[in-house]
Amino acid sequence: MQDPRIRTAIAAVLSLAAFLSLQGAAAVFLWWLVFTPSVQLAKKIRRVFSLILMITFFSLVLEIYGGGGLSYFTRMTVIVLIGMWVYSEQKSGEFLGIGVWLLGNRAGFELGMIAEMGMQSLSSVAADFERIQMAQKIKGIKWGVHSLVPAGLVLVHGALIRAEDTAELLAVRGYHSGGTMCPKFSTRPMDIVAGIIAIIILLFTLIPFSEFFILYR
Amino acid sequence: MKITLNKAYAIRDHWSLSASGTFNEGVHLVSGDVGSGKSTLAMMIAGLFPLSGGEINKSEIKSSVLSPQFPELLITGITIAEECASWGITYEEILEDTGLKNRNEESPHSLSRGELQRLHLACVLAKDSDLLMFDEPFSSLDCQEKAALCSRIGKKLHGITVIFTHERTILPRVDRIWEIVDGVLIDCGRPPDAFSNWHHIPPAIKRLTDLGSRPDNISLDDLREAACRIHG
Repeated sequence: MQDPRIRTAIAAVLSLAAFLSLQGAAAVFLWWLVFTPSVQLAKKIRRVFSLILMITFFSLVLEIYGGGGLSYFTRMTVIVLIGMWVYSEQKSGEFLGIGVWLLGNRAGFELGMIAEMGMQSLSSVAADFERIQMAQKIKGIKWGVHSLVPAGLVLVHGALIRAEDTAELLAVRGYHSGGTMCPKFSTRPMDIVAGIIAIIILLFTLIPFSEFFILYR
Repeated sequence: MKITLNKAYAIRDHWSLSASGTFNEGVHLVSGDVGSGKSTLAMMIAGLFPLSGGEINKSEIKSSVLSPQFPELLITGITIAEECASWGITYEEILEDTGLKNRNEESPHSLSRGELQRLHLACVLAKDSDLLMFDEPFSSLDCQEKAALCSRIGKKLHGITVIFTHERTILPRVDRIWEIVDGVLIDCGRPPDAFSNWHHIPPAIKRLTDLGSRPDNISLDDLREAACRIHG
């Protein structure tokens, strides 16, 4: 999908649809199969393994203590799949373009820049995670569930240090506020089709099926 | 206890490294230019870099540690005390010797490069592993600290220690010298006989040898002794 505006909007719409109901999640999954390079994405599922592991844990807790764990697991996994698709298609600078297009060169630029930094931070966290695994291997620590909490703390700490460094760098370079950018987007007909279907899915999720039949009668 | 490299090689883009030889117990020096493949070889032996072919066999080695060129890559603790604990040691054991006393609650990221290197090396040496590999351990250290590290390495009585470095001034006494030339690991032999085959021979050793006073080994003490011999 070429147009980042449509892609971002679709991600928001489909995430909401998947979160709202199990039927919505099923429809979103079908959308994911049709409109994304799902086979290629499925091969990269290992990268979000820890996230799915976390969802599984909370789903089990839900299922044991109140029910609805399976529904939660399905809905959240579909949201992760949508997230994987958006992340894999994302190119550097796109959020900045969307921000400026949406809200202009001041608030939009700043919002876009924050989103860009967030995306960069995700890449850094992934690299840090691999580094920690290697470090623990060198130190003779066996990787396992017990390693996740300390690794998580180091990741958060690292992200905070990076954020501080970036803020200092911006200040040193004289950044004050806003910026100038003329974003350009190209839209393919398929982007629009995918977007319309995503909106239909959300509508079907928001309005129960029975209401449709009443209207039909 | 030994490591045997049997035609082990790695290929990356337009660059390759091949290595054969046996690292027995003792201290080994692997020299080579910057970018010659020292770090890659260290990673290959540590099992952190996939071999493109050949094999590396480790015999009777129960524990091993690779000290990488950039110690910040190994930080997994939020405080210095936690960092020491992640190596399986208590901070009281090493902080005084590293000049970091009472700084156990500080972040390792707040240390200067030299301080971090000192802390890291102290942790690595405290592990007392059968196989110790140091990738550029002398970087970020001043002359006094380099000499102290050489002394610590010299005190290690068992196991295999391999130092990968392009340092040519302050070095420990070693049992064998190796070097990487044009992507191939070459066994230069035991010092002082190795000096005649050594492409990366330090200028001071070469000068002393040319003057007819060949040092017995490559440490500063050996160089001083050889220099004294010149003047009788």
